[in-house]
Amino acid sequence: MSVDSTPDQTTGDGSNTEALPRRKRATLVDHSIRYGFLGLLLGLIVFFSIFASGFAGPRSAVFIFQSVAITGILALGVTCTLVVGGFDLSIGSVATSSMMLAAYMMVIFEQSAFVTIVACLAMGAFIGLINGLLIVKTRVPDLLATLGMMFLLVGLQRIPTEGRSIATGMTLPDGSTAEGTFSPFFLAMGRHRIDLVLEDLIPVSVIFLIVIGILVWIFLEMTRHGRLMYAIGSNERAASLTGTNVNNYKIMAYMISGTLASVGGMLLAARLGRGDIASGTNLLLDAVAAALIGFAVLGAAKPNAFGTAMGALFVGILLQGLTMMNAPYYTQDFIKGFVLVIALVFTFSLSARKAGSH
Amino acid sequence: MKIVRRTALAMVASIAASATLLSGGIANAEMPAPLDNPGDVKIALVRYLSTGDFFQAYLSGVEAQAEALGVDLRVFDSRQDAALQADMVDQAIALGVDGIVIQHGLTESMKEAAQRAVDAGIKVVAFDVNVENEAIPQIEQSDYLLGKLALEQAIEDNGNEWKAGYVYVPGIAPLDRRHVAWEEIKEANPGIEEVAQMGTLDNPIANSNANQARSVLQANPDISVFFAPYNEFAKGVKIAVDEAGMSSDVSIYSADVSTADIAQMREPGSAWKATVATNPAVVGEVSVRALAMMLAGEDPGAQVIVPPTLITQAFLNENDISNMEDLSAKLPQFAHADVAMTDWMPLPPR
Repeated sequence: MSVDSTPDQTTGDGSNTEALPRRKRATLVDHSIRYGFLGLLLGLIVFFSIFASGFAGPRSAVFIFQSVAITGILALGVTCTLVVGGFDLSIGSVATSSMMLAAYMMVIFEQSAFVTIVACLAMGAFIGLINGLLIVKTRVPDLLATLGMMFLLVGLQRIPTEGRSIATGMTLPDGSTAEGTFSPFFLAMGRHRIDLVLEDLIPVSVIFLIVIGILVWIFLEMTRHGRLMYAIGSNERAASLTGTNVNNYKIMAYMISGTLASVGGMLLAARLGRGDIASGTNLLLDAVAAALIGFAVLGAAKPNAFGTAMGALFVGILLQGLTMMNAPYYTQDFIKGFVLVIALVFTFSLSARKAGSH
Repeated sequence: MKIVRRTALAMVASIAASATLLSGGIANAEMPAPLDNPGDVKIALVRYLSTGDFFQAYLSGVEAQAEALGVDLRVFDSRQDAALQADMVDQAIALGVDGIVIQHGLTESMKEAAQRAVDAGIKVVAFDVNVENEAIPQIEQSDYLLGKLALEQAIEDNGNEWKAGYVYVPGIAPLDRRHVAWEEIKEANPGIEEVAQMGTLDNPIANSNANQARSVLQANPDISVFFAPYNEFAKGVKIAVDEAGMSSDVSIYSADVSTADIAQMREPGSAWKATVATNPAVVGEVSVRALAMMLAGEDPGAQVIVPPTLITQAFLNENDISNMEDLSAKLPQFAHADVAMTDWMPLPPR
């Protein structure tokens, strides 16, 4: 994936090649900006391989991927809204609502896995649609509209069960007992492992992450629609004047974000095997961090799918490595914040440099 | 296990006896003043924490006992806003309630508010928050005992030489109290070695802890016992143990219980061997009973401790228990705690 995206990125910021006299001096800086973050990622892997026992090896690699699968999928969704110059604060609560809905459909309504999946996806897309309409039609600023949606969903997901988690055998508000169970097929989404060289190696959720990552990457980088979304993000008015239906693309971005968040929620439900009440704030923050760190990858200085995936992986490797070295829990938030700040400095000093060189 | 069953039998007998006594009591409606006219008695529950199964169940216990007494219950919910919770005590005073149950909160913010309520002649009890006031009895579930019973079971099952993983987040009062038991057990059994400590309260808590525990198990494959003294922690550790394919090598001991946890513990080959729990609904009932005793001029004592119950995987399987209702039925000391009881006290129906 990195090989493919490099030439694409080079054409993307062609401004360097025009400033010929400065080119030699600039290459070193440009290189460090472009590959600095990937280098850091590599350094981190080497460091943990040496100092954290059990870190090196395919199984560790897989569970690091698994630990970031859900936030990674959410981060890819938020990337799509960042591309059109928006922001989706509701993804965390869409994910937890989707988890509750999945549990509710199977445990209380006793529906099949298929119906459950369709219902969750539909809910995610519908919430995205509402978000989009609020922003586009009623002109509520994106942060505020999605913040409102976040609170609304945090409350809404608790109403049907009166604030209780959903599990088979739970007592319902009317006094009866829930008899439904999670369908084995649905659980497999979060638990089944596919043999690859080693037995039971790759969890299905990791495959979800990789497939969704590639699809979002192709959509944003290769299709006309993706290009137009970037155009809207960089200059909405210009994009609109060239005949782009800005509103439709914006709504679409939020629908993608909502749908991906609902996928993340289903994976969460499948892994936990129950509907757990949770606000999803941590999911939101981790996903946003991954997407923002992604700005710095390959010197893109803009939201991009490959960067987001790398950002999620970066945070995952750091956290899992630190846990293996027995680092206390509070260092983890600190490190996460530190990496994010460094990545943002990378990104914004880079764009300032670009602007200054003209 | 034997002991549990024996006490269980004893409890059944005593409850059956007290139930017959009580039904007689209710029929005579011989409650002391002011409870002889319960419709005119107003009590308030002022909550700090409300989100989650535990707090939901606590509330249902408070409601059930208040209904059994026939008193008028008002619920104030500050949703983790310490300042608002103190204001709500003042609201309750202004409302002219006769008694207040303070549920959780911070000592600093609640101390003065609680004193104002006492000064206004209102009877107050506090659950799991120390308001540093001699006139206010503390209702507690013994977190220390929760930890201790779980660890004693771990030693009974695994001997006293093992490598342990431990899940802990400092600064959370109940976890800190459970931590004391862990320190003591380690002190008393030098063969128990804590090779890894982890833990996070990032929600969804089970998922975040599963990720961490997976790393810990990879780094320390020789861990044979995981002490995870909170059911969300245990749930996360169990996911990680399953994912690592180590279910037969690792035993998990925890605290607290819910319907979902029972299903987890009863899965074939589950690593989750035992948990120790106090029924939050019972704690809610005890809180109201202690308050009722004070209203009637009796003294429940400075500390009312609701004893915890050991629940093992074997017990759940033997009795085919699938949810909290079954558990209460099969383990009567879980359904009812014989504390803050008087001979006139009406109990909620079960």
